[in-house]
Amino acid sequence: MSGDVEHVTCHELVEAVTDYLEDALEPGMRAAIARHIVICSDCSQYVEQMRSTIDLLGRLAAEQPGGPQNEKLLGMFREWQAGRSRSS
Amino acid sequence: MQPVSIPAGRQPDREDERALVAALRRGEEAAFVELVERYGASLLRLARTFVRDRAVAEEVVQETWLAVLNGIDRFEGRSSLKTWIFQILSNRARTRAVRERRSAPFSALAGDGEDDEAAVDADRFRPAGDRWVGSWAAAPSDWSHVPEERLLGRETLERVSEAIQALPPRQAEVLVLRDVEGWEPEEVCAALGITDGNQRILLHRARSKVRAALERYFAEGVAP
Repeated sequence: MSGDVEHVTCHELVEAVTDYLEDALEPGMRAAIARHIVICSDCSQYVEQMRSTIDLLGRLAAEQPGGPQNEKLLGMFREWQAGRSRSS
Repeated sequence: MQPVSIPAGRQPDREDERALVAALRRGEEAAFVELVERYGASLLRLARTFVRDRAVAEEVVQETWLAVLNGIDRFEGRSSLKTWIFQILSNRARTRAVRERRSAPFSALAGDGEDDEAAVDADRFRPAGDRWVGSWAAAPSDWSHVPEERLLGRETLERVSEAIQALPPRQAEVLVLRDVEGWEPEEVCAALGITDGNQRILLHRARSKVRAALERYFAEGVAP
């Protein structure tokens, strides 16, 4: 039978962190990681940094809105539209 | 004036997409405007992960919209319209990136990251034979000393952008679609033609690298 994971190392946690945050781990492993985070301040910090990283990524969209290309695109659309009516 | 944009991360409504496709086929400008407002910004951001130059990225986006229009009659609706549009963009951006790289003196882009990549350098952990094998040897630095204005500031976000641009293309793509654009895992898998496991591995590598880049950035200028 698959044994319960009792203990993970910091190194193992670092490699499993995405699966952990994505909730893609087996329950035993997930529990082992959760326990480890409670007792290991370094790993707790690492997981928080991962969360901060993800948060920052989410903010990029607001920082980089789309460009003022819309005039060009409209022109392009109208040309396409005209070509289409001509050939129908 | 900024257009009101519907978050592109939200999964598309099939009925809504069917109506849009039909309207486009009839040559209705409002349908095209709607699509551009909905996805234009995301397309540009994704293009820029492949081609750094903003003008080139805008060209790629323009070509994408034209390809969408020229292909709209043939679109069968097997994938979502959103997925189809982004696939076109992705293909064009990659092709263009290869072309741009050929004319550049140095290729700054890494390979596809097929080789074994650790999220954190192995030498940050205690080695085999050590009593505490696998524990942190050099712990993650502390970000709590970083003032919030800096943590969330423009320069930090620029560093994040740079880190994304340094990623292998497939990792960049998954990271941007998932974490920047907010797509669901299933959508990313469908768009990129990869399994969920694959998607998570790429995401893991990408996120790890960005975190590492931020760690280096926040450590700058900190007295030893």
